[in-house]
Amino acid sequence: MNELSAALPVISARKLVKSFPMANGAELKVLRELEMQIHESEMVAIVGMSGVGKSTLLHCLGLLDSPTSGEITYRDDSRTWRSSDLSEEDRCRLRNHFIGFVFQFFHLLPDLDVLENVLLPTFISQETGEWNKKRSQFEARGESLLERVGLKGRERQAPGTLSGGERQRVAIARALMLSPKLLLCDEPTGNLDSRTSESIHQLLRELHQDLSTSILVVTHDPDLASRADRRLQMIDGRFRSESDNQQVTDSS
Amino acid sequence: MKYQNYLIQRYLSKRWAPWAATLAVTLGVFSLLTVLAVMEGFKIEMRDRIRGTLSHLVVEADPFRGLVGEDLLLEAIQGVEGVAAAAPNVTTLALYKVGVMDHCVLRGVDPIAESQVSDLARFLLSDSEINMMLRDRYMLLPPEREPMALEQVEQLFSLKRRREVMRWRLEEDPGSGFSVESPPQAIIVGIEALRSFRLQMGDVVQISSYSPVTLEPCSGNFLVVGAFQSGVYEQDLRWAFTDIRALQNTLELWDEDAEDMRLSGISVKLDDYASADQIKVDVRREIERRMLLDESDPESIPMRSPSYETWEDKRAHLIQAVEIEKRIISVLMLLIVAFAAGMIFLILMLLVIEKQRDLGVLRALGATRGGVVSLVLRQGMFLCTLGAVLGLLGGWIFLENINAFHDWVYDMTGLRLFPPDVYYLERIPAILRWEDVLLVCLPTLIFGFLGSILPAIRAGRQDPIKALHHE
Repeated sequence: MNELSAALPVISARKLVKSFPMANGAELKVLRELEMQIHESEMVAIVGMSGVGKSTLLHCLGLLDSPTSGEITYRDDSRTWRSSDLSEEDRCRLRNHFIGFVFQFFHLLPDLDVLENVLLPTFISQETGEWNKKRSQFEARGESLLERVGLKGRERQAPGTLSGGERQRVAIARALMLSPKLLLCDEPTGNLDSRTSESIHQLLRELHQDLSTSILVVTHDPDLASRADRRLQMIDGRFRSESDNQQVTDSS
Repeated sequence: MKYQNYLIQRYLSKRWAPWAATLAVTLGVFSLLTVLAVMEGFKIEMRDRIRGTLSHLVVEADPFRGLVGEDLLLEAIQGVEGVAAAAPNVTTLALYKVGVMDHCVLRGVDPIAESQVSDLARFLLSDSEINMMLRDRYMLLPPEREPMALEQVEQLFSLKRRREVMRWRLEEDPGSGFSVESPPQAIIVGIEALRSFRLQMGDVVQISSYSPVTLEPCSGNFLVVGAFQSGVYEQDLRWAFTDIRALQNTLELWDEDAEDMRLSGISVKLDDYASADQIKVDVRREIERRMLLDESDPESIPMRSPSYETWEDKRAHLIQAVEIEKRIISVLMLLIVAFAAGMIFLILMLLVIEKQRDLGVLRALGATRGGVVSLVLRQGMFLCTLGAVLGLLGGWIFLENINAFHDWVYDMTGLRLFPPDVYYLERIPAILRWEDVLLVCLPTLIFGFLGSILPAIRAGRQDPIKALHHE
């Protein structure tokens, strides 16, 4: 882990501020000059009470929302992107290639079957002609991902016929389809019972070990948080200092 | 990008409501197309029939002064480039009495010359055709039939023919006071006059009118020797043809000043109707030039001021009426298409609301705003275009078989949707023009676009965070 930590982070946020205007004219500051970094192949858990800004942070990092001020930097082996000078098209491309999303409510498309849901990021990034050319390649990858998450043979089923845990597995496979550098998980087990959650935690952990993807997971679940390389406690729009975090880790 | 077509395919294969919008567009396009084609066919049919009884160009005299100098006029007109033939005529409104009193438009023509400028020869019926048409009230002769040969036309007006008819007439009714040796002048009436029993073959009709020269009443006897069918009901009921010389004598059209018989007008046939407006000007210039020459000049035509009109000028109001009707109906029918576009709008709007979450997921997975807009827009345009294509196809097939369909309805229900005695058309005319297809398709696609763009913009404006936040 040491030599990896020494390398440049996959994503780093500097002085991130996000505020929302309120009805009375005042500003609600959700993120207050937040600083964070995630290194390659690192699994970071963010814990905290409801309403401290975890989701807002995730949306900003996932380029679904823009911070009021501050900057987020994305890095892969060859390139660096700064959030302040990204065009709309760049943001879409990063969401597609660089970031994988796993949501609390799975958010599979009910009109597509399981494999099609997993292939959805490729549908978005590829023109029809090119997609058809690479079809077998994509389908093979989709099938192997489904096999990896334990859903072999369920490719042609409709998402509606799957259980909650199975749907989340499909969603994880979809998020990994284009081998993103960063997987953002927003309460991935928040909607699942404890036994199912346990298996999803296991899966995330395994995937993290198999793949070089960095994982940022927002969770209420102490079990999932304990499996992370690092835990960040969010209070009032920023993280407690590293040492505090260390204490949290130690005490758990 | 691939996802749009893929998702559209999925969304549409699992729902029936969008197809209802397509069906509405189909019906709108279908009915609009059918109406336009039938009205166009009707217009062309009417034009043809009106054109048949008129010549391309009509030089018409002021009714109280007439035209004089027939030979010079004809020579002058025929000298103009582009003129194929010219024929003089005398036209008057007349009363006649056979049992009841009635009126007609009596045209005195030179049978041969008239056949060369108008469709008279084509309209004239043989005796056997007259008998056939009197037996079947609704019968119309096919428009493609051969025109009567010129000799036969001449024959119809000849003394021999008049004697023949007179002899046959006297056999039936000896006490009429006419003789085979000196029969009255020939008159040819419309088939509807015979059908309505206002007149019959062999009738001697006394025609009364006013002489425009003496302003005194005048009258003459005419023998019904034949019939014509122009295809325009009013004309077939009211018009009658006779020999121009006979009518000139009856109406006492001798003009003292010019020492010549007056004419009502001259019908002109052109080589090519397309250049009618130019030739009209040329004819006018030539006639006016000759009228201004000194009286001693052999080319001089006595001064009268006629009007110069193409047949379309003369019947402009009729043709325009159909054209305006067509326009009004197409605007009304476009409302159906607009309604269909409204359906597309509603269905897409509902879909955008229903699929809010899907759209949010797509955005999160890297779809651009434009991509989501295009997903909804494409779907609307697909529904609309498909409806338009189906409507076009259906309309085309229907119009190709409109008469077969009409016959089938008649056979099944005994209902004549298009009674031949009202419109005087045996077949429903339908002509599909490219302009009309365009006139249907373009607004349909524009309406479809308008109906799709608003839901599409809404889909693009949607905040993916809100869409993803809740189950």
